[in-house]
Amino acid sequence: MKYAACWLLLLVTTAPAFGQAKADPEDEYYRLLRFPMNEQMVLEAGALELMPDGKLAVATRRGDIYLVDEPLAEDPTSANFSLYASGLHEVLGLAWRAPWLYCVQRGEVTRMKDEDGDGRADLFETVSDGWEINGDYHEYAFGSKFDRDGNLWVTLCLTGSFSSEVKYRGWCLRITPDGKVIPTCSGIRSPGGVGMNDRGDMFYTDNQGPWNGTSALKWLRPGKFVGHPGGFRWYDVTDGAIGPRPREPQSGSRMMVEAKKIPELEPPAVYFPYNKMGQSASGIVCDLSDGKFGPFANQLFVGDQTHSTVMRVFLEQVDGHYQGVCFPFRKGFGSGTLSLLQASDGSLLVGGTNRGWGSRGSQPYSLDRLVWTGKKPFEIHEMRAKPDGFELTFTEPIDPKTAADPKSYSLNTYTYLYQAAYGSPEVDPTTPTITKVNVAADGRSVRLFVDKLQEGHVHELAAEGIRSATGQPLLHAQAYYTLNYIPKQ
Amino acid sequence: MRRLCFFCAAILALAVAHPAAARAVDQPPRVLGFERFHAAETDTAAGELVAGGQLLLGELNCTSCHAADASFAAAIQKKQAPVLDSVTSRVKPEYLLKFLADPQAAKPSTTMPNVLAGMPEEERRPIVDALVHFLATTGTVEHTNPMRQHVSRGEKLFHSIGCVACHDPRTEPPAAALATSLPLGTPSRKYTLPGLTAFLANPLAVRPSGRMPHLNLTPADARDIASFLLNDLEIASGLQYAYYEGTWDKLPDFSKLTPKATGDASAFDLSVSPRKENFALRFDGTILIDKEGEYLFLIGSDDGSRLLIDDKVVIDNDGIHPFQQKRKKVKMTAGIHTVAVEYFEQGGEEVLQVDFEGPGAPQLPLASLVVATKSPGTAVLPERFVVDATLASKGKDYFVSLGCASCHTLRKDGAPIASTKTAPDLAALKASGGCLADAPSKSPWYALGARQREALAAAIGAAKVPAADIATDVSVARMLVRFNCTACHDRDKLGGVEEARNVHFQSDMPEMGDEGRIPPTLTGVGAKLNPEWLKTVFAEGAKDRPYMFTRMPRFGVENVGGLIEGLAAADAALIQAEPKLDIDSTDKRHKAVGRRLVGAQGFSCIKCHTFADKRSTGIQALSLTTMTKRLRRDWFHAYLKNPPGYRPGTRMPTPFPNGETTLPDILGGSVDLQTRAIWDYLADGDQGILPIGLVTGEIELMAFDEAVLYRNFIEGAGTRAIGVGYPAKLNLAFDANEMRLAMIWHGAFIDAAKHWTGRGAGWEKPLGDSVQQLPAGVPFAALASANDPWPSTPAKENGYRFRGYRLGDKREPTFLYSFGNVAVSDYSRPVGESEYFVFERKLQLTAADPPKNLQMRVATGKIEPVKDNVYRIDDRLTVHLSGDAKAVIRGQGDTAELLVPVTFTDGTASVTITYDW
Repeated sequence: MKYAACWLLLLVTTAPAFGQAKADPEDEYYRLLRFPMNEQMVLEAGALELMPDGKLAVATRRGDIYLVDEPLAEDPTSANFSLYASGLHEVLGLAWRAPWLYCVQRGEVTRMKDEDGDGRADLFETVSDGWEINGDYHEYAFGSKFDRDGNLWVTLCLTGSFSSEVKYRGWCLRITPDGKVIPTCSGIRSPGGVGMNDRGDMFYTDNQGPWNGTSALKWLRPGKFVGHPGGFRWYDVTDGAIGPRPREPQSGSRMMVEAKKIPELEPPAVYFPYNKMGQSASGIVCDLSDGKFGPFANQLFVGDQTHSTVMRVFLEQVDGHYQGVCFPFRKGFGSGTLSLLQASDGSLLVGGTNRGWGSRGSQPYSLDRLVWTGKKPFEIHEMRAKPDGFELTFTEPIDPKTAADPKSYSLNTYTYLYQAAYGSPEVDPTTPTITKVNVAADGRSVRLFVDKLQEGHVHELAAEGIRSATGQPLLHAQAYYTLNYIPKQ
Repeated sequence: MRRLCFFCAAILALAVAHPAAARAVDQPPRVLGFERFHAAETDTAAGELVAGGQLLLGELNCTSCHAADASFAAAIQKKQAPVLDSVTSRVKPEYLLKFLADPQAAKPSTTMPNVLAGMPEEERRPIVDALVHFLATTGTVEHTNPMRQHVSRGEKLFHSIGCVACHDPRTEPPAAALATSLPLGTPSRKYTLPGLTAFLANPLAVRPSGRMPHLNLTPADARDIASFLLNDLEIASGLQYAYYEGTWDKLPDFSKLTPKATGDASAFDLSVSPRKENFALRFDGTILIDKEGEYLFLIGSDDGSRLLIDDKVVIDNDGIHPFQQKRKKVKMTAGIHTVAVEYFEQGGEEVLQVDFEGPGAPQLPLASLVVATKSPGTAVLPERFVVDATLASKGKDYFVSLGCASCHTLRKDGAPIASTKTAPDLAALKASGGCLADAPSKSPWYALGARQREALAAAIGAAKVPAADIATDVSVARMLVRFNCTACHDRDKLGGVEEARNVHFQSDMPEMGDEGRIPPTLTGVGAKLNPEWLKTVFAEGAKDRPYMFTRMPRFGVENVGGLIEGLAAADAALIQAEPKLDIDSTDKRHKAVGRRLVGAQGFSCIKCHTFADKRSTGIQALSLTTMTKRLRRDWFHAYLKNPPGYRPGTRMPTPFPNGETTLPDILGGSVDLQTRAIWDYLADGDQGILPIGLVTGEIELMAFDEAVLYRNFIEGAGTRAIGVGYPAKLNLAFDANEMRLAMIWHGAFIDAAKHWTGRGAGWEKPLGDSVQQLPAGVPFAALASANDPWPSTPAKENGYRFRGYRLGDKREPTFLYSFGNVAVSDYSRPVGESEYFVFERKLQLTAADPPKNLQMRVATGKIEPVKDNVYRIDDRLTVHLSGDAKAVIRGQGDTAELLVPVTFTDGTASVTITYDW
């Protein structure tokens, strides 16, 4: 009898496949609006860009570019899509610079425009094809927005995500406005997105695999080697643009051991611990809305394709290197989160696909918009490393009693093997003691004293016990700080 | 290598002559579990020492002479000595002479004791002779030499399927020998190829106690591994290759080319080529046809190939094309025939496959018929060992009286020979002297190490008092050590792949990480696998993880069957009760929900897991159809809630994060109901209806009133191909890397399914008909002299740049590219009416400073003028050239070129070509 009832429920509730996402505590602060999908328009959204007329350009893995009228309308179900271009090769980067829409295809950077005004692009100009592809599906090319010098940054996945069979696989290139190629970083494995922070420094996500113990956010610091030595042979064709070929890292070592031996090696700014934060890090966007997207101005938001989530990242600089912390932020996206863009009203547009790689979001493809409700969640706002611990700030005033109690926090650390084999378990675990907690007089931050910090480790903090001044627990109590460098002061 | 063996043999001869000198260097018997878990001097726990000693009591087969009570004997599971029923059909008598004279010298680390160690040489020699003459009555060895192709395949198998879990890898240069490896020495001293092949094909027949498990080798696998292990014998090769580099549109005349490399080949395949593009191969070999009859030969390739038998072309599969197989039946006489295969590859995918079908036989690779021309090699064979009946009869007496028969089964006339040797019961033994003495005496000499003697003494001491019941988890652990399961598996921190062997555990799915290559943990396995399945695995071995090269061998239920109950009991506490659900598991609607959950609109299990023989759309993880036959249902319920809890670091996503389903609309969002629906659906195994989204149909792209573009990997047009389908049902593919019109074809345009489903791997070929390949290489070149060859290097190296394209009113592209200071626009359109269209291609060139002697290469191949400005190409395509410029045919035969001079007026020039086919 019970079973029959379930059946009825199934039939009734699954007919419209594209309803609103299920209620979630996160909804109270950030609402998910879901654009309707259909079978005719396979919107496997590889890249997003806003056009000067306010339309949203959505590029797909099938090589189409759609324009969405009024993408910021309150009711996305009435959105109107029109086809702007098609027949392109798996577009994973879109950027507008008048009068052209630039896209990054597998084999080239192309710019296009609609010359006859019929709403469809008709002139496609190749800006650069300064790298090669050999027919392997994994040879993806992800593109950025324009940097402060007008360059596009392109990250090139390795062949099969393991080796570099043709030119510049496993490299980041900058493409100048006149189409010149500047070799920028080596060491890329399998990127999932590229984006800038508020200062205009460029980052990308790389994914668990050889030389990548887990997925990570990495700084594309020009001239640096970011971890996977598979593309080293192409130093020979750079004319010394970023110096000589670095020495090979030692497989089975640790990242910070090797970083001390290899001056070119830039360690990942933030690790996303496998299964805990996600499994496939993807698009990156910085909140530059100055408060329109809530209390996290200038922080980075990073997608995870497998978990269909958007994560939050706070970065600081220590000894000239970026490092920082990631937090869970929002789950429940329609498909596997891939492309992220911040709209003019501060909301995040999030494109998804799970073709070839499964995701928690069960739609085959999706376009969602994440809107701040205006209500501040109680969250750890920032987490900074100190010589002897961490400083946490919060989005809301805290309850001094729970905040001052070391038992409100638990802390453990681990790192990853830096190795040629695929991925890594968490290794070298420690459980440091939080010896003391000082609560700031303004009730907005705490100082944790830790015995002792572990250089090169992820410091996994759970602040389960802390309460806001109004008695609320944290919306997300977990934080994962990548402590490559312990600040001296 | 041969020199080295000779040297070894010399040492061996010395050792036989002076046994006392050899004693000093005798290697203790190697028992892998003892070496790994009990050998450390620091391991002083008394219980552990006894456990180590008990392990040795079993592995050294002590209780075959020293009787133990039944329960003790059952607990130590003695390792039976090899069955000798037909020993000399696999082992050389010459070896037995050396081995019986001094086992430790002939096979260092052997567990075979020297029962004659206390005897002077002059007494020992006749006994050994007699024993060997007796043993030699069990059969005769055959000598054949290994073949090159079998050796190279065997080398791969040996290092991948799990042999090196227990034995040292045999690499060049040799890896450091591990204390936890069973040394193989130089097997050619002991075995002939047929003998070792027979042993490897079924080790349990000779060694029934399962320490050397049965690896489910095919006859060819066994032969090839044996060939590799005997690779110090003279190797015969019946197949050679020659490798060439260059760019061709069809098979070149190999007799006029100089190969870049030559050597022995192991098969008619492309593994000998370092390149993937622009190369050619010729294989020459000999095949042996066993019996006269009609044979079907098949040759498939991408690009062209040809099969010659006895110097006559049998199948011609020439030209640039996607994989295309041709076949022909040929009457063959019995005997030796020469065979040659020619092949070339220009660009795109590359495949070569040469097979045959004998009369009434299945299809096999042609390489399996290859034989060496000078078999079995020129080496002098040892003289056949001649049995002396008198000596053999004496030998039989020794076999009975010396105790050989206590350990070894040897059946004569159907009955095993019984031993008359007696020895004290185990419980009555002193823990010193006898077999434990530290110098040879009248007792069998094992060359025990000090630690081994200490452990055996402890175990013998413990055997005097009734054994306390061993806890189940301890007895399970001991079995795992005894059978060296711990070489591949870990369980509760015991064992697991050793670091030094780790590199030999590989998979063809590197993306799966360690899960793809390291055999699964046995922690909690008793709560995971269903007992019937475990029984099947022990009885038959398993290969459920197709991506993992290491195989689960067959140990025999009679040997390891105790683990079935043992694991279940030891892990009983880990079993989590499954939810009580009031549902009908056979209800078709219920299974349909399960099917939906498994599919692309559900949890997308099929994105990673195969379904029987249907490939998944992503990685190829363990087949879903094996789940319900392998797993316990209660475990499945618990596992799906928390995969990383059971397999830390697993790539398996969590369908129910935080205990909640990501599909709340199905079955009321009940995690338990959803799990059960999946289980009940999967219980249908490969009889189940395929999950949704696993098999996708064609995605044909069609042009209606506008042209359709498709940029992707198109076979024959490169990695940056731009396919264009026109409403007139003509199609073209432009290669944006080489700036050339690469292909034109009629009818259907293209199927995008390969690139638009799953991860999009592979090359797509035209979907339509009469595909015409147009010339490789750049379209324009300035030739200083009429004899200059056409450039064969990539377009970018010739100064070409792709500039993009402009779309016309009907989305038809005009391709834009440049070279030097010349800008080119290249526009094709179908012209004609109703059913008959041709391509008209207009090329416009502009240059402020035009190059001199600029030519366009319009066609290559066999070129015949039809009339003015009309040419027939390869009897398949007609090109019309308009304008005044006079085209020139350069070269002759099948490699002619049709060149059109390009003349600029006021900085512009144009060429118009019509393609009609």
